[in-house]
Amino acid sequence: MTDEPTPTTPTEIRLRDLRPNSSPVEFVARVVTFERRDVTRRSDGSRRPLVSGLLSDGTATVRFTWWDPPREGIERGLVLRAVGAEVREFRGRPEVTFSWKTRVGPASPAELPRVDANEVPFRTVQELRPAEEGFRLEVRVVRVAAKSVTVGTERRVVHEGLLADRTGAIAFSAWSDFGLKVGEAVRIAGGYVRAFRGRPQLVMDERSIVVRVEGADLPDPAQLLAAPPRSIAQVEDEGGGAAIAVEGIIVGLLPPSGIVFRCPTCQRSVRSGICRVHGQVDGQADLRARIVLDDGTGALTVNTNRADTERLWGVTLEEAQARLRQQPDPSLLEEQLLEALLGRRLRVRGVGTNDEFGVTLTPESIDRVDIDLDTAAEELGARIGERR
Amino acid sequence: MSLREPAWRITARELESALEEEKGEGERPATYLLSPFAARMNRVLVAGNLSPAESIGRDEAQAFWRARLSDPTGSVAVTAGSFQPRAMAQLRSASAPRPAIVVGKVHLFRGRDGVGYVSVRAEGVRAVAEAEERAVLADIVRQTLDRLDLMDRLEKEPGLTEEAARLEGIPAAWLRAAQKSRDRYPNVDRPAFRRELGNAVRRVAGESGPSRATLPTPPTVTVTRAPPSRPPAPALSAAERAEESLFLDQLDEVADVSADGYADLKEVLSRVSAHGLVGERAEAILNRLEEDGVIEEPIVGKLRRA
Repeated sequence: MTDEPTPTTPTEIRLRDLRPNSSPVEFVARVVTFERRDVTRRSDGSRRPLVSGLLSDGTATVRFTWWDPPREGIERGLVLRAVGAEVREFRGRPEVTFSWKTRVGPASPAELPRVDANEVPFRTVQELRPAEEGFRLEVRVVRVAAKSVTVGTERRVVHEGLLADRTGAIAFSAWSDFGLKVGEAVRIAGGYVRAFRGRPQLVMDERSIVVRVEGADLPDPAQLLAAPPRSIAQVEDEGGGAAIAVEGIIVGLLPPSGIVFRCPTCQRSVRSGICRVHGQVDGQADLRARIVLDDGTGALTVNTNRADTERLWGVTLEEAQARLRQQPDPSLLEEQLLEALLGRRLRVRGVGTNDEFGVTLTPESIDRVDIDLDTAAEELGARIGERR
Repeated sequence: MSLREPAWRITARELESALEEEKGEGERPATYLLSPFAARMNRVLVAGNLSPAESIGRDEAQAFWRARLSDPTGSVAVTAGSFQPRAMAQLRSASAPRPAIVVGKVHLFRGRDGVGYVSVRAEGVRAVAEAEERAVLADIVRQTLDRLDLMDRLEKEPGLTEEAARLEGIPAAWLRAAQKSRDRYPNVDRPAFRRELGNAVRRVAGESGPSRATLPTPPTVTVTRAPPSRPPAPALSAAERAEESLFLDQLDEVADVSADGYADLKEVLSRVSAHGLVGERAEAILNRLEEDGVIEEPIVGKLRRA
């Protein structure tokens, strides 16, 4: 005897409540990203078109696959109603499929589920993972700055910075101006988390809601930016961080370090006179270093810009260029730079990003550290049981 | 993810007392030298007085230089070859001993008598002012004491988990190294080693010269220089000798017709398997011949007669 599943009427649900392999569902959601593709049928080699991408209704973001979609009319931001969509599971996350059985049509943004900011759960910064949404956050604004960027053909202003609570700090970018100011405590709902250079980043747009709060138990921004250094092993474990401080010894340099040439338009480094984006250009000389900083527990790369490199090296770009004219061998310059840096102790604060080669630190401050030898000898003497 | 190996802060004495080498995991496993004092190191940072270097290269095309670095606890060989041109230039440039710091990879060479010699293949060498050498030495002593403390703690708290250690800021790699050291070197006199660090502390305070104390280092580290607990090699049976000579014959044949004079490992293995010498047996023969110094594998996958 087989159990024939009884057909059920789809009921409108929120994406947050999707359960894999349930009966077909009905929902209203917005297209976040999409891509058109053709899939070759194995049986007869014919091509079958599909659209796939991400849908969001403010409670969650899910992947969707739309078989035999309309030729036109699908665009980013489109709000649609799907009736009879199938729910599957892929890598532990639910995703939806629109087949010939599914009715898909346009809907009004007003039909999107009302997400009451008071009903979504609170998260701490440490708990946030990429692709998460439908949460509330109480954080202090540690840093914020407006930046003008080009999106397609459009100029837009994005507000970027750093938010923190007691559990950690997270970078954010806001596509609407919420008038955030450094030191403010805010409650944020309607944001979502994406991965940016291996780190979670909070993205806020016009749907996000920002409310000023008391925030008595939130950390003081100044204190957060002056936190004592942590071990590099710990920073590696956490895959970097939005505001980290480490202290270590310079044990090497990675290429390219020394004089590099940059595209005058986009600042990308130029190889054999060719910029990756702008083609043949007249490269402008710049000074940089990719420092390997090591504290005995781990190692990370610190990328220094011209000003920091000049200060650490004690040689200006002009002087380095003069040396290069005298001795036209860039590797000699890199050698001299290493010679000046190897073994120096530095304390570095900044943003740590993560990739398969480990953590890269973009510094906000670099300080030389000189340890007091008498104090060190006294402390170490006590530890081995010698009174000094 | 293959993270860069950290540079373990290490004294010459601890390097001298390290006898065990082991392979890491992954596609291109790194080699680690395990010390009795909780260092499982691939890369090290050492500081001390660096002697002028001598050339030990066999031919001019493959220059190889060696110097000795002495700190207040002992001394260690520092080498650099043509693959480390900068470090080699630094080693060669000195005509008199001078304070220096060295970053490099550790190597354990085991001679025919089983005696191990540790050296540091330099990646970076820098002659420094005395104060800077003493500052790095302070870092070395501090982390050495941290590791000794961790081993003492592990004695009292054998169940210390990586998670609990991490919360206290102890790297997981340190805890694993401490556990391995304890297993491999169970009878090491740690308090004696701790006392020996006194010379290094006096150097940090500027109370002694840069080189090791003239007094001979007391034999307090009660490990022998022989490799631990390796059973004596049993006499080879006639069958094993026959397998060895089969392996060598095939190796010679492959090498004779190859363009570069090396025998390709895969080809040798496939030829010996045609003669019935397969899998682990063939590996065992290969390893034994390599260990006995009959053949060598200077390039991965390429064999030749030593």
